[in-house]
Amino acid sequence: MGQVVQLDVGAVGRVEGDLDVRVTLDDGVVVDAWTEASMFRGFEIILKGKDPQAGLIVTPRICGICGGSHLYKACYALDTAWATEVPPNATLIRNIAQACETLQSIPRYYYALFAIDFVNKAYAKTSMFDELVKRNSPFVGTSYEPAVQVSAKPVEVYALLGGQWPHSSFMVPGGVMCAPTLSDVTRSLALLEYWRTNWLEPIWLGCSAERWMENKSWDDVMAWLDENESHRNSDCGLFIRFCQEAGLDKIGRGPGKYITGGTYYDPEHYTHPTIDGRNAAVIQQSGIFDGKNFHPFDQSRIREDHTNSFFRGSGALHPFDGVTDPIDPAEGKRENKYSWAKSPRYDVPGMGYIPLETGPLARQISSAQTGGGAWQDTDPLFLDVFNKIGPSVFTRLLARMHEAPKYYLRVKDWLGQLDLKEKFYIKPQELPDAQGFGGTESARGTLCDWIRIENGKIANYQVVTPTAWNIGPRDGKGNRGPIEEALVGTPVKNNDDPLELGIIARSYDSCLVCTVHAYDAKTHKEIARYRTGALV
Amino acid sequence: MATVVWLHGGACNGNTQSFLNAEEPTVVDLVTDFGIDIIYHHSCIPLMGEQAKSTLMGVLEKGGPDIFVMEGTVIQGPGGSGRYDMFLGRPMMEWVRDYAASAAFVVAIGDCASWGGVPATAPNPTDSIGLQYLKGQHGGFLGKDFRSKAGLPVINIPGCPAHPDWVTQVLVAVASGRLSDIALDDLQRPATFFKTFTQTGCTRHQYFEFKQSVKEFGQGTRSGCLFYEQGCRGSFTHSPCNRILWNRQSSKTRAGMPCIGCTEPQFPHHDLAVGTVFKTPLAFDVVPKELPQGTDPISYSAQAALARAVAPKWVQEDMFVV
Repeated sequence: MGQVVQLDVGAVGRVEGDLDVRVTLDDGVVVDAWTEASMFRGFEIILKGKDPQAGLIVTPRICGICGGSHLYKACYALDTAWATEVPPNATLIRNIAQACETLQSIPRYYYALFAIDFVNKAYAKTSMFDELVKRNSPFVGTSYEPAVQVSAKPVEVYALLGGQWPHSSFMVPGGVMCAPTLSDVTRSLALLEYWRTNWLEPIWLGCSAERWMENKSWDDVMAWLDENESHRNSDCGLFIRFCQEAGLDKIGRGPGKYITGGTYYDPEHYTHPTIDGRNAAVIQQSGIFDGKNFHPFDQSRIREDHTNSFFRGSGALHPFDGVTDPIDPAEGKRENKYSWAKSPRYDVPGMGYIPLETGPLARQISSAQTGGGAWQDTDPLFLDVFNKIGPSVFTRLLARMHEAPKYYLRVKDWLGQLDLKEKFYIKPQELPDAQGFGGTESARGTLCDWIRIENGKIANYQVVTPTAWNIGPRDGKGNRGPIEEALVGTPVKNNDDPLELGIIARSYDSCLVCTVHAYDAKTHKEIARYRTGALV
Repeated sequence: MATVVWLHGGACNGNTQSFLNAEEPTVVDLVTDFGIDIIYHHSCIPLMGEQAKSTLMGVLEKGGPDIFVMEGTVIQGPGGSGRYDMFLGRPMMEWVRDYAASAAFVVAIGDCASWGGVPATAPNPTDSIGLQYLKGQHGGFLGKDFRSKAGLPVINIPGCPAHPDWVTQVLVAVASGRLSDIALDDLQRPATFFKTFTQTGCTRHQYFEFKQSVKEFGQGTRSGCLFYEQGCRGSFTHSPCNRILWNRQSSKTRAGMPCIGCTEPQFPHHDLAVGTVFKTPLAFDVVPKELPQGTDPISYSAQAALARAVAPKWVQEDMFVV
């Protein structure tokens, strides 16, 4: 047995709230990990007893990065509860708006939150370091500046439809509040083209969006890379080459099992939203992938375990019956609880309630399913990548970036389908007693609401976020959460700067600012001073 | 030149995301051209763990930053311990106390830091509080007599989120020594942004003058004003949302969404009680319970009756047509 130490790394995630990552190292390899979300805000408690539509205002404010996705699913929770009719135009507008939020998130996440770690001096010996510093340095990088800048453009489309981004609440049961004019559509197209011609194609891909989408297998991606200098020298080409050289295709495997709730409804096939009708209606397919086989997504198979979370008691409840009863973390720690996140689990046929990874990789693997409606996105690329090279930090990132051209093409198509003379809203009947479920895919994964309305008030409201799926702690059976699992087995080159751990945690794009802590596992003494992303 | 430390408490990061949408100047421009030296920001500066901690402790030891920006509520629960929000091993509220005491200027960005915002909505499960207010009540976490080293109270830039221009212009004003050009109103907001109403510049204002309502959302918003039925608060909320447009394109009311009053201390209003979301609560089923600022029910009713009577024919027609 080698030297056993433990690392605590703080402020790992870079968004709202903080995430502490604690790991035990044995001979330089992570042997165990704990992810600890360190902030509680109590939104589900606030929603109790409020107006049934309060979730449209409150849930977007859970996350300023994916607030439009929160709005989208909160709205569908009410649509299913009140059995509304949603005109095709409204479905298109909702799809366009949420997808534009994701088109904003992709470059902003990659350049502002993720790739700044590539300029860490830990990578100084890689052959591409000078180029990475030139392109990715915060604020002054030749790609950083235009990419962060252009990330604001897709949400200008959101503002044309919803008034502002972040934090509009313009999607309502029965449709949307807006009725765009032709100039709104034309401006939206122009904004998307600006995004494409100023970042997606010249900086990121080095080719057209359509050319990239021709890649159907890992071999195609490799052939694309070698096809010409424009591909190789694009930020995407550099990213692929750097990940291979730096070994980012070897770390952060994760559980290897995935959940995707699916999103972007086909306008003609979800005019009467129901919980049961979701899977057939979504364009971005839903599904559970257990590493070999696909299973249909079924919200009734989800449980939230709070055994190791700072909530009273232990056990696992379906979100319709979910309870949010916080306790003082000081008290919780005495019961070995360690996080504000609950642990979402899914009853996978034949496997029981297990942790699943969510996010772009899960989504793009799910896209490989065939046999669904003609409107569904069918794309074999990432199932092939998964089978050929396996999941890793690199695979996860590549899947996220693959969605930039994919969703850009979709949004353009949806804008073209709008019939400006038709309805955008059909006034629903507000049922005083009802329950509903709404789900979507935010940039960072499956995001769902469960609402119960009694006597015209919210009786219970539960939100399960992608961040909870990925950063949640161990469950009652001791199964680690996905990021905890992804950290185990990671070799850490330098205890004083275990950059790998921050990169793995951040590859999940969780909505938390992360922190990593390092301890000697035998003495429980903190031994390492963690830092990452230090500027050279 | 001005150093900035930006912390986030009970927040959604929405103000940061809004800030990143800034143009003229952009966030990058602030750093490269306007002398804003961002020493710590959770999303923009690649520091974590011990390096973040030593940086933040180091700034305090050297006398504090020029500007301390707070995003999010100060979480005081449970039981005043602050342990619902831990940051680098300490309750965030202790970092806030230290930074507020050491900075030359203290800026609250967004509703949460200004007044408590959504997290402080009843029953306020985390005992969240704004820096110098809790909802409309003066005092807040730092107390009503708090003054930063430069002698000013907390500068509140409310909104859920705050518009990036409101933020960048205040930061630049401090960095360039022009803060004296900015007057604060009685809620410590820069008057240049918050003297006007959300309604100022609203494209629906002509419908408001003649008391014509939006009949329903969607296609219904091609005409009318959202005040009468959809609960729009634009005529008694202070913001420049229809003067300084959002994302350079639009505003909620232009797009057909009622103003929800998110720059005022009581947001979310009426604690989201049944019947208050996207609906106008009425007195005696006719007169809106909340009226344009400075109007009383009797003069409002008289003016409304007259306005409807003299309304020209075109107010019955759609204006925002394809």
